Amino acid sequence: MKAKEQNISVRDLFRKSLEYAEIIPDATVKSVLMRRVARKEFMRFNPARINIYYLGGIIITGITASVLLFSGSHNSAGQNKSSKPATLNKTDSIIYIEVPVVQPLRKEPVISNIFHKNSISSYKVSQNPEKTQSEFSQADVKQQNAIPPAEINSSLSKNDLFIEAIPDKKKLQSGYRPEEFLIESHDSVGCAPLKVHFNNKSTSYDSCRWTFGDGGFSNEKNPEWIFDIEGEYKVFLDVFRNGQKFASSSSLVTVYPKPQARFEIATENDVATNYEMHFLNYSINAVQFRWDFGDGSASEVFEPGHRYSKFGNYNVRLVAYSEFGCSDSVTLFNALSGSQYFINFPNAFIPNTQGPTGGFYSSKSDEAAQVFHPSYSGVSDYQLKIFSKLGIQIFESNDINIGWDGYNNGQLCEPGVYIWKVRVKFRNGEPFTKMGDVTLLKE
Amino acid sequence: MMSDRQIIELCARHDRKAQQILYDKYSRLLLGVCLRYATDKAEAEDILQDSFLKIFFNIKDYTGSGSFIGWLRKIAVNTSITHYHKNLKYRYHIEIEEYVSVETGVTSFEEDFFTSDELYKVLNELPTGYRMVFNLYAVEGYKHKEIAEMLGIDTNTSKSQYSRAKSVIRDKLEKLGKLKSSYSEND
Repeated sequence: MKAKEQNISVRDLFRKSLEYAEIIPDATVKSVLMRRVARKEFMRFNPARINIYYLGGIIITGITASVLLFSGSHNSAGQNKSSKPATLNKTDSIIYIEVPVVQPLRKEPVISNIFHKNSISSYKVSQNPEKTQSEFSQADVKQQNAIPPAEINSSLSKNDLFIEAIPDKKKLQSGYRPEEFLIESHDSVGCAPLKVHFNNKSTSYDSCRWTFGDGGFSNEKNPEWIFDIEGEYKVFLDVFRNGQKFASSSSLVTVYPKPQARFEIATENDVATNYEMHFLNYSINAVQFRWDFGDGSASEVFEPGHRYSKFGNYNVRLVAYSEFGCSDSVTLFNALSGSQYFINFPNAFIPNTQGPTGGFYSSKSDEAAQVFHPSYSGVSDYQLKIFSKLGIQIFESNDINIGWDGYNNGQLCEPGVYIWKVRVKFRNGEPFTKMGDVTLLKE
Repeated sequence: MMSDRQIIELCARHDRKAQQILYDKYSRLLLGVCLRYATDKAEAEDILQDSFLKIFFNIKDYTGSGSFIGWLRKIAVNTSITHYHKNLKYRYHIEIEEYVSVETGVTSFEEDFFTSDELYKVLNELPTGYRMVFNLYAVEGYKHKEIAEMLGIDTNTSKSQYSRAKSVIRDKLEKLGKLKSSYSEND
């Protein structure tokens, strides 16, 4: 029953936290993706999308094909003729003499022009009537029932993005729009690191260049830039057409410094329950603070003191706010734990054969390891029990200064393995229980 | 802002701007999905790119009946599965020894206690097979039978992998030392 409750909660935990979680992808992911899209798009020939690139491609292939074709035939002709003299010059000298080197060169452009024209004219013929039809039939018919074309047109005038999104052909048909040009940036004022998304709103240009004022630049149309150092940055956008700068604009980005939340626990007292712990605040650039002690209480004091009533895993969190409202936070996990609390036992000892010692020991007196006892730090309550292999208790101590001397009721125990179990409470309130075995050795 | 409908309409015509807008709008959500199925962010971003390629070139198949976000998520999940199958042969098959259940007396985890970063990390560290089954069952809400078909495994394998994944996750969460229960209650 208990297990079942737990299962549901693990599942719910992940579903609630992660089902709609958002992760910001790296900026390069988008550019690589768009490049892949462009490549895939290009490889996939679609008659509805014939544009200047395809036209150019067709012309270029036409020209190269014709050049190859001609030079191929010329070469083969030349070869024939040059090979002929070896065999034929004796019998037929007229042909040999009349091979003109210049003539085919003159012919070449003429022929390629013919090919050229042919390819264009045939392309145009096939393109013109079908182009508009196929475009509408293929793309629109499917979704016409969803969005009527009229609606699209009406939103054209309203939405700049939409106008930029019209295919090139349509722009050419309707003529260029007058230049509208400005920088649009989202969140141009904020805390470092500040991510700003810039939009280039100019509609027709060859290339653009953004200069971000912190040494960085970009040629993307709508770049995203992260300003990681505080300051005021003047962002410039230059737009080029036909290789010449024809417009530029600038915009101001203000980045406020990010505060740094830092603190530590003052160590003059034990870090433990029922002591008042003091927190030292080392935050930078901050004017306001909020502490969360993890046990449900909070404070807004610069350096608060706090007392935990019982032991537990408390995560102390400090949020520091700057005068501009920027914030930073730091969390100290498990504030009550500390490496200064430990207890360890050896795995063997050699009892004194002269008789029971009573188990008193100190690190100096027990250099021969005659008493089984722990090394420890920060232990408040202590209980040690020793059992034989059969599970019979043969020794018990509630004083950490008394260990086991290897005797049971005045008799030296047999050499061999014994089981120990210890229960302690550390000074921070943390209970601790451990079992292990120890080998009693004979001198 | 364009509505989803307009974006879809334009994307179906392979409009580059609309594709970018679609990416800007949903890439973060979908990366959140992909990261659950990947071992790290770089792998998740690879899956994200493949997902968007699929989305851009198949958007005309979106009928408009179901929710668009649901459709996008489904593609991301399917791409993650394809990715898993593709990479299966490059991965060593790690079999974790039978998990020994530890009685802790903990009945539930508090909802806001773990940050999503921590939960992602726990998922990323899981063996790949466990991660697939756990995500599909716990977060996506598929039935074991459907998962078995998707991953090409047995229904019982799906069930047992899910329960082992859950045990490992619970163990990891406890090891993080971030349980709200205190030792003193236990004693």
